[in-house]
Amino acid sequence: MADTGLDKSLVPAHRYPGRLARMWDSDFVFNFRKSPIAIVAAVVTLVLILSAIFAPWIAPHEPFNPATWDIMSGNSRPMVPNEFTGKVFLMGTDEQGRDIFSTILYGMRISLFIGFSAVIFAMILGITLGLLAGYVGGWTETIIMRMADIQLTLPSILVAMLIFGVAKTLIPFEYQDRVTMWVLILAIGLSDWVQFARVVRGTTLVEKNKEYVQAARLIGRGPGAIMLYHILPNVLNPVLVIATISLALAIIAEATLSFLGVGMSPTQPSLGTLISQGQQYLLSGDWWILVFPAATLLALALSVNLLGDWLRDALNPRLR
Amino acid sequence: MFRTLLAATTALTLIGSAQAETFRWASTTDPQTMDPHAVNSAPVLGFLNNVYEGLVRRDRDMVIEPALAVEWRSFPVESQSAEHGWRFVLRQGVTFHDGSAFTAEDVLFSYERASSEDADTASWFGSVTDVEIKDDYTIDFITNGPNPIFPDSIANWMIMDSDWAAANGTERPSRDTENFATINTNGTGAFRVTERSPGIETVLEPFDNWWGEPEHNITRAVFSPIPNSATAVAALLSGEVEMINPIPVQDAERAAARDGVKVIQGIEARVIMLGFPHDHEALKFGDNAGDPNPFADLRVRQAVAHAVNVPAILQIVMRGTAEPASQLVSPAMRGYSEANAARPEFNPDRAKELLAEAGYPDGFSFGLKCPNDRYLNDASVCQAIVGMLARVGITAELNAMPVRNYWPELRADNFDMYLLGWSPGTFDAEHPIRFLAATPNTEKKLGSWNFGGYSNARVDELLPMIQTELDEAKRQQMLDETATILNDDVAYVPMYVQPLLWGVTENVTLTQRPDNFFILRWVTVN
Repeated sequence: MADTGLDKSLVPAHRYPGRLARMWDSDFVFNFRKSPIAIVAAVVTLVLILSAIFAPWIAPHEPFNPATWDIMSGNSRPMVPNEFTGKVFLMGTDEQGRDIFSTILYGMRISLFIGFSAVIFAMILGITLGLLAGYVGGWTETIIMRMADIQLTLPSILVAMLIFGVAKTLIPFEYQDRVTMWVLILAIGLSDWVQFARVVRGTTLVEKNKEYVQAARLIGRGPGAIMLYHILPNVLNPVLVIATISLALAIIAEATLSFLGVGMSPTQPSLGTLISQGQQYLLSGDWWILVFPAATLLALALSVNLLGDWLRDALNPRLR
Repeated sequence: MFRTLLAATTALTLIGSAQAETFRWASTTDPQTMDPHAVNSAPVLGFLNNVYEGLVRRDRDMVIEPALAVEWRSFPVESQSAEHGWRFVLRQGVTFHDGSAFTAEDVLFSYERASSEDADTASWFGSVTDVEIKDDYTIDFITNGPNPIFPDSIANWMIMDSDWAAANGTERPSRDTENFATINTNGTGAFRVTERSPGIETVLEPFDNWWGEPEHNITRAVFSPIPNSATAVAALLSGEVEMINPIPVQDAERAAARDGVKVIQGIEARVIMLGFPHDHEALKFGDNAGDPNPFADLRVRQAVAHAVNVPAILQIVMRGTAEPASQLVSPAMRGYSEANAARPEFNPDRAKELLAEAGYPDGFSFGLKCPNDRYLNDASVCQAIVGMLARVGITAELNAMPVRNYWPELRADNFDMYLLGWSPGTFDAEHPIRFLAATPNTEKKLGSWNFGGYSNARVDELLPMIQTELDEAKRQQMLDETATILNDDVAYVPMYVQPLLWGVTENVTLTQRPDNFFILRWVTVN
């Protein structure tokens, strides 16, 4: 500012608020501030994501390192000193003496990683195909959109199971454990791209006849550049909403697959695997092995979903 | 309208009374075959004991009693030749489920079938050199020497109809592939299989022409495998099934406290142990795959024995229901070696020293194979072992799988270490030596479950001597010597004797046999 030669003291401070302050006053943030549900959901999501990221520093021990298991502390109840070792565990321990709190933190890492990656994969695939279908039209559009329609008739969890099953038979047995995570991302991502493609195609159809696109065409920009630099930024708002809701769905899809035993293995458990393991103890009174991972999954999926809902309303001009 | 209602009510009442005598039970696994000679494992033989019968059978206390044979005696008796063997006099008027008559021909055929190369039961007949039919109801088994426990060792050898097998092209059993006898049955037992959907449901009904006097009151019995233990408990508590075997260790206490459900607990004859790849050249799994096999070194095996904290497994994973084991058989078995009653102590420091001495101060990584639906809490026990081994620096990559994939994997030698449970069918200490410790030899029918290929010349020498020794004291001495060799060699790491835990609804009375066989003809539903 100094090089503009303006005397700062002459400019009333409140008229030119800073970038942050302007954001604070924007419609978007105003809307957020007025929605207690959105605030709670955002806080819960943030806390969960941060604790997953910082799990190695937060967790009392490393649950996937067998050398740290203390079997004598096994079956401890939450917050009750263990009868043999006297140790106290926030959320109890399982049969191997693994601290449930730590397994949840590490399990959530895997769940979130798979969820985010699957959504990003689905998003890239869906946007690309949606843009192509919408902008190019003709046969390309027909093929892509009929494929999408066919896939929509099948429940996405079935599609994911199908892809997972095929991949498992193609991959040699000894590599399976190492690639399971990537197969899951592929399976969930492939089962989820349709939403993105449909929305992007719809918006593209509207946008491509607007003046700015025609102008871009007139000055000789190629179709690729027009799609990428002109249309894409204008279709991102609805994509953001779908992505958020898809994240919740992807986390649940991963948990479902792992719960059914076709996902992450017990040696690398995600939240779904932990729930499926804990379910073995449902009737035996060791409730904490099931309840805490399940509650975490619920909190995570619910808060992301609520955020997505709020985002959809906030970004929809018709609802303002 | 009223009439329809009445008819409906009557129909409902009829269904209700019919269901009262239908007995439903569940277990974690389905018997993998219906062929009594194809797989020598308790789930198969235990189930088929209701359908097929042997010459002799075991009563509620495991004592041998007549079944298809009414009497038997060993020879030579003074007047006869110097040949050793056993003569069986067969029961007359017995028919198979398809109506054909039972004669000595069927016994001879079943002997040939059960001792053939494809049979898993061949080792029961290791000492038999010849079988001679004397007449339709008399048959001699000639043995290569005195064999005092021969009748005990064939209590699970079941007789199949020779004509039925020939007509259906199933003269030989097949272990891992299907043939007619793996899904169809034709025995002489008290129950016949009326429907068989592998992995889903098997329906049995009493056989009307059975030779014995029925003690049960079942008109229909339905077995279904329920792999998920929590589901099985829920099915028991809701009355959907009348019996589950096993009731999970973690549920036993609470289930027993519930009205309408009881838990029948006993100590099974089954010893759970770790097996080693004695004859492997190299490791097959983990980061060190391809490296020379460290378990060939006695010190490494000793280190494993010292690293495994058996008391902790019993206390936490088995929740106090199991007993420690120091040898291949439990103390309740005949021929148990008192001299070998002490387990290697849990001593991780000693284990680390031994590993360092053997040249593995930084440990190594290998693959541990485990079943996850065969023994009580098997996968949990293996996970606990992974943790214990990690503490002394060796990394086990655990691969737990359903039992239907597990045995083929072990037979294909795909392991670096494995979990095995062994219950001696004869209730005698000789049994595991023959199956698990003798050098594998298909011709002599020895070592058929010795997956790791453990081999010790002295053990091989002692086994036939034990089998033919009539003097109890001398026999025990040789059994003691074998047990000492096996423990000194750390051929296996015996860990604990598994408990029997059956969950049963209050209205059912039944008998729990220590070999974990569930015998339907001892069941009464009130």
